[in-house]
Amino acid sequence: MLLYVVSAVYVCYLAVKGLSLPATWNALYWIILLFAAFNALSRSFQREDGGRQLYLYTLVDPRSVVVARSVYNALTMVVLSLLSLLFYTLFLGTEALEQAAIGQFVLSVMLGGIGFAAVLTLIAAIAARAGNGLGLMAILGFPLVLPMLLAVLRASKLALDGVAWSVTSTYFGGLVLLDIITVTLAWLLFPYLWRD
Amino acid sequence: MKKTLLLALLMPGVLLANAQDAAPSWLENSLYGNGKINAVIAVIAVILLGIGGWLYRQDRRLKRLEDAQRKA
Amino acid sequence: MKHWWWKFLAIALLLVASIAALRVPLSPALVHVSPSRIAPGEVTIEVTGYNTRFTDGMQAYLVNDSQYVCPVRVDVIDASHARIIAEVPAGMRASMTDLVVQGLTYPGAFFTEGLGEGIERGACGPRANKLDPSGLAFTFPNRSILYESIRNLHFHVPMWFTMIALMGLSVWHSIKGLGDGSLDRDRKAVSAVHVGLLFCGLGLVTGALWARATWGAFWTNDVKLNGAAVTALIYLAYLVLRGSVADAHKRARLAAIYNIFAFMLLVLFLFVVPRLNAIDSLHPGNGGNSGFNDLDLDNRLRVVFYPAVAGWVLLGLWLYDLRERTARLAEQLDR
Repeated sequence: MLLYVVSAVYVCYLAVKGLSLPATWNALYWIILLFAAFNALSRSFQREDGGRQLYLYTLVDPRSVVVARSVYNALTMVVLSLLSLLFYTLFLGTEALEQAAIGQFVLSVMLGGIGFAAVLTLIAAIAARAGNGLGLMAILGFPLVLPMLLAVLRASKLALDGVAWSVTSTYFGGLVLLDIITVTLAWLLFPYLWRD
Repeated sequence: MKKTLLLALLMPGVLLANAQDAAPSWLENSLYGNGKINAVIAVIAVILLGIGGWLYRQDRRLKRLEDAQRKA
Repeated sequence: MKHWWWKFLAIALLLVASIAALRVPLSPALVHVSPSRIAPGEVTIEVTGYNTRFTDGMQAYLVNDSQYVCPVRVDVIDASHARIIAEVPAGMRASMTDLVVQGLTYPGAFFTEGLGEGIERGACGPRANKLDPSGLAFTFPNRSILYESIRNLHFHVPMWFTMIALMGLSVWHSIKGLGDGSLDRDRKAVSAVHVGLLFCGLGLVTGALWARATWGAFWTNDVKLNGAAVTALIYLAYLVLRGSVADAHKRARLAAIYNIFAFMLLVLFLFVVPRLNAIDSLHPGNGGNSGFNDLDLDNRLRVVFYPAVAGWVLLGLWLYDLRERTARLAEQLDR
């Protein structure tokens, strides 16, 4: 996964050298992260075969499985997004970060990663149950992460421009709300997905 | 499925439509004409054509079912 | 007959609303004024009105920062064209001057040169207590750049209301279907989505046409348009998901789960996110862009708009009914 991110960042570096425009810098970063999220999370339910699923099903409550998966995926995404941010700044430079409120930007990166994980966990489960791999996952997931992506793009752009916390806090509040609602929905719906 | 494909084909068309900045003058004249009433005419035409087309397809679907029933 | 009444209601509502939407005249307004720039000295102003009744001896004056300039002469050419000759004094305070003809204002008509500390107040300000008979007639507001296309409010916007209603119906059936695992509910849900997508497509195309006529582009990067695109993509994905599962019960369950999940996120996106970044929407009612409700006499639009919405929603339900019954027939024949 890390390899994927590093190579993606390197390709971007080769394609656009010396990127200084904050808007483009920001957009490119989120595109890399979006595809990384799809790649990483699509595997979270794929690797299980029927037997293991049945075993888990008899052993524990499905809700605890989906919550555990969501938390695990969220942590993966946080680590992944921070690492890719690191490589991204290493390769593409920090010119765009000059005026940025760094703390806010990192926060938006983490919230965005958690948000992607929250939405895509249930989608990955649906795609895996439908017996269709990454293709279906992308088709199902893309329109659902698009709202999240737009919100987080706006928030991180504001953070890059160094806008005060009092302005951006509504975005972060909205993102947290979106995450909570998504996880709640996944918690409610997942048992039906597992029933067979 | 056919409709799905059709809509999927239409979407990028709509998205790309703003790529052309200079609109042909016939478009300007026709859409903007007479206090822009033609924009209303166009909208109503689209709605009627859309619903008419849907009804036509629905008709065909029913026809297929009727044929199948006759055979059975 | 008993179960049909709402279909008749749909037709009746659509008939009344559509006729009203097309026949109600626009209120009179000034639509064009030239030149767009005035300097001290004599100017000849050409005014074009819309649905106006210019008459000889009508009142016309220029307003600059609530100071009035009276015309030297007003020549009425016909009911909607007039020529106004005025002596523009030097020293007006504001850079934009309005024109008022027959009580109708054309705000910011002229860019004004020769500014100063103010002028002598002309004797021709607004007449008090003037009862304008056109103000009493039932008319639609006449807004610049919209003009007659304001009537599209009654055709384009109900498409989205109908779509949301149908998608809501679909989610309701999906929730019920998840509870009892019935395939009937699944059929109803997918039928509603099919008809909803029809209205989504109609909304997109009519919206593009209206946008071209008002904003000059078929597609703009706008919160509402993004929402519409996301909605279309979500429900197309829903159909793709259905297409990729063979087993009917499994398909019903997966589709229902996706439907509920997607609809909830969609509602969040359509109604919460626009509030979050209510900055840049061209659509009325979003960030800094006044809705239609602040228009004077907005109730005149509403009187037609609500019946139109009700009519279109009922028509959408009717189409859904047809679709659902056809699908049921197909299932029975398959068995």
